[in-house]
This record gives sequence, structure tokens and C-alpha cells, in this order.
Amino acid sequence: MPNVLEIRNLSKDYGDFKLKDVSCSLPQGFIMGLIGPNGAGKTTIIKLILNLLHRDEGEIKVFGLDNVDDEATVKGRIGFVHDTPYFCEPLTLKSLKATVAPFYKDWDDGVFYRLLREFDLPARKPFRKLSRGMKMKFALAVALSHHADFIILDEPTSGLDPVFRRELLARLSALIQDEKKSVLFSTHITSDLERIADYITFIHDGRIVFSKAKDEVLEKWAVVKGGNDLLNEDSRTFFKGIRKREFGFEALTADAAEARRRFAGKAVIEKASLEDIMYFMTRGGNHA
Amino acid sequence: MRNLILKDLILNKKFLLLMGLLYILYMGLFFSRIDNPKLDIICITFLSFILVVMIYTREDKFKATVTSCSLPATRKQIVLARYVLGWLLMIAAYVLAMTAILAVPGHKLGAAELFNIQTTFFALALMTLFFAFLMPLLIRFGVVGFFVFLISFQMLSIITLTLASKKMLNLDIKAWVAAINNAFMSLNARLGAPGYYAFLLAMMFLLSLGSFVCSVFFFKRKDL
Repeated sequence: MPNVLEIRNLSKDYGDFKLKDVSCSLPQGFIMGLIGPNGAGKTTIIKLILNLLHRDEGEIKVFGLDNVDDEATVKGRIGFVHDTPYFCEPLTLKSLKATVAPFYKDWDDGVFYRLLREFDLPARKPFRKLSRGMKMKFALAVALSHHADFIILDEPTSGLDPVFRRELLARLSALIQDEKKSVLFSTHITSDLERIADYITFIHDGRIVFSKAKDEVLEKWAVVKGGNDLLNEDSRTFFKGIRKREFGFEALTADAAEARRRFAGKAVIEKASLEDIMYFMTRGGNHA
Repeated sequence: MRNLILKDLILNKKFLLLMGLLYILYMGLFFSRIDNPKLDIICITFLSFILVVMIYTREDKFKATVTSCSLPATRKQIVLARYVLGWLLMIAAYVLAMTAILAVPGHKLGAAELFNIQTTFFALALMTLFFAFLMPLLIRFGVVGFFVFLISFQMLSIITLTLASKKMLNLDIKAWVAAINNAFMSLNARLGAPGYYAFLLAMMFLLSLGSFVCSVFFFKRKDL
């Protein structure tokens, strides 16, 4: 299976924030979730893929092509949704469509108007009169109307109600069924990714913590809950993050099998959710 | 490039129709009272350029550049489209404003004074200067930076002229203007009218090309 996205040693320095040596890849036909706390660098990576930011170092290949040297070709096959959809506010949705559609050779007016109907978006309404959720839906309709091979979504569910969020996730899952389309999906609502993602890339403070298949992550990572007497020098180094309380601790490990061996009968060992992983890796530290 | 120009025209359709019309009517009415063709040309070319600036600031206002740059087009194509559309609009605004002057009853200047080869080249040269020097600034610093530069430039000019008039600065502007004028007259005499105009066109083209290269350089490195 060829990779639809390959990022190698990507770096970007803003002065007060650095994206450092980021590498990951997404095989064609899968959904990758990009998770991390606010300010971790998720939007920066997406903007670098779309060449909205000038990269300092590294390489980004989309469909095997350099995202800068073959910019127009690459972007012609990408559908994008930014965290805040910026379109010219006074224009109606129909007029906005007229500004975007000619850029895509596979633009499908039928799909666009069907999506507007399904999303309850009035074509003659000015963009500025839409709520944040509706603006996001419009951006989604545009992204899904030109049969893009690669959909990039930056926090698409943050302004959406739970019903539409589920609908969107189902739509994205259906989209990749032909095994030709792929999705990169950044979010901090980790439950969304547990539903649909095949791969998870966790980024924190500008660095990749891991980029792996979701099932592997959920299988290998675990939360250990036990009494404080179990915490010693050795166990502290074993855990990735610890939350200590008066009567016990909760800790995250990346080696569930070893945790079961070490703490069998002494502690409760549960599967870690993505939210657990994100929490312990960003807040838990090893010194709680 | 066609799609990018079309996009900008759709985005600014209402603005162009309404503001463009008011703008041209205003220029026609105001400048029909002036009997100095050079002053007319200087002011109208500058105002025509500002009309173009206003169009590109609208995209800044709605932060829609992020969306435009996410579409399948290179930064170079986006800048090229801006230059082509900018020039087309500037020329259209200039011609319409000059025509509006002639349409106002009691206008001080006739068609022969406003539309001749000298005034046309003078207008083109001014448009080239405004566009070539100010577009890269607009692209690099956005509308706020652009106006900060214009205001700073005005302040600097006022200070320089004040110092020069008080003999605190050795600056003979009249001599400079005369020297530039003499250089052009001597070129005209040496090359003959066709050669001279061809030379001017070539200079304007080279200046615009240099400006375009700078704008592309700035825009490619601009983080959005």
C-alpha cells in the first residue's frame, strides 16, 4: 500500500515555539488522527502540508510528490477544512462555490448541492450569517465536493453538535471504504478518533511522541491503579506519567504486558484510552 | 491564473460596481475643475492604484488568503494574477476617470490634452512606479504595513523638505528634477520618438518584472 503522506524530519521555528524533527507517514486508504493538547503543533503540521507555512527543514511528500515543488497538482487532490473556515464573509454560499469550484477538475456540483441540502445549508445565505458550526459544515461540503483523494481536517468537530459529529465521523469512515481515499484528522476530542482512526500520531510540544496503528496503541498502553506503596524509583521510571493521590496513584505505561507481570494481583490494570494517554503524557509527568 | 482572476472578480463584484462607480464619478467631478493635466494624471493614477489596494485589502480583512492559498494554485500564480488584475483595473479606472472628466460640463481640459501619447506614457510611468514599488510592500506587510509605510514616507518627506527649506539640509530637489528631466529629453533626442517610447516601455516592463520577482519572493516566504 503506497503512502499518501510522508513527512520526514520536518522542522519549523516560530521563535517562541518549535516544531522539531517530525516524521510520520499515512498509507493510502486509512484515517490518521493527529492528537495533542492545544498549542502542540497540530495546526502547524497541517499548514506545512498545505504549504501555508514555510518549512525550515525536512521533507513532505503527498501522493509521492513534494508538496512545494508540485504544489498545484498536490492541492488539486486534497480536500481541506481549516480550524476556522475563512471565506469572504459577505458572499453567499453559491457565490463562494463559484470562486472555488473552477480550481478543481473533478468538482461535482451535484455532490455539492446534495451536501448543502443534507447539512441544511441555504445556498443563497451569506457566509457571515452562518453560525460557527454551519461555517464548518460549508467548509466540509466544499472539501467533499471534488472527489479528493486526501482529506485534511483541522479540528473539524470542535464547533459541531454531537449528532452532526457522529454523522461526520460515519461519513469519513464510509469515504475510505474504496481504499483509495485517505483522511488526516486533527482533534483534541480523542473519542472521535477512537471511533474511526486507523493510525494515531500524538504530538506534544512540537515533537512526535508516537505515530502508530491505533489498535497497537490501545493494546500496548495501559493505566495502572494501585497503592502508593508500589511507587518506587524503579516503577517511576517504568511509567510514562503518574497522578498521585492521597490513597493511591494512577499511572500510564506503554508496556501493558510488562505492567501485568510486575503488578499482577497488586494493582488494577486497565486499557488506556487516547484521552488517558494524552492526559498523562502532557500533565502527568513522572514526578506527580 | 484565469481562475484566480475570476475568483477575485467574484469576491469584489459588488465592491467594484459600487465603490468603483462612486470613485470614478468623484474623480471626474473633482478633476474636471483642474486645468493642469500633469496634476490630473498624478492624482488619478495614484487614486486608481489605491482602488486596486482596496480590493486586495478585502481579502486580508476576511483572512480569506488562507483559503485562497489552500486552493490548487502556486504562490507565484497568485501573485501573477494579482499583478495582471491590478494592472487591468488600474488602467480601466484611469481611462474611465479621464472619460468622466470630459463628460462633466465645463471641464477645463479637452480630450487632446488628456489623451495623447505624452500623457499616456506619463500615466503609464506613474502607474508602473506606484505599482512596482508599493505592491511588494503590500504583499510583504499587508494593508496595515502598507499604510504605515505610506504615512512614514510622507512624514519623512515633510521633515526633509522642511530641513531643506531652512537650509539645514543640503538638498536641491529642483536640480534633481531638472537633471532627471534633462536625461529623458536627451534620450528622446538621441533615440527619436519611436526608440524613446520603446525604451520607456522596456524600462517599465523591467521595473514591473523586478517588482513581480520581489513580490513572489516575499509571498513564498509569508506564513499564513
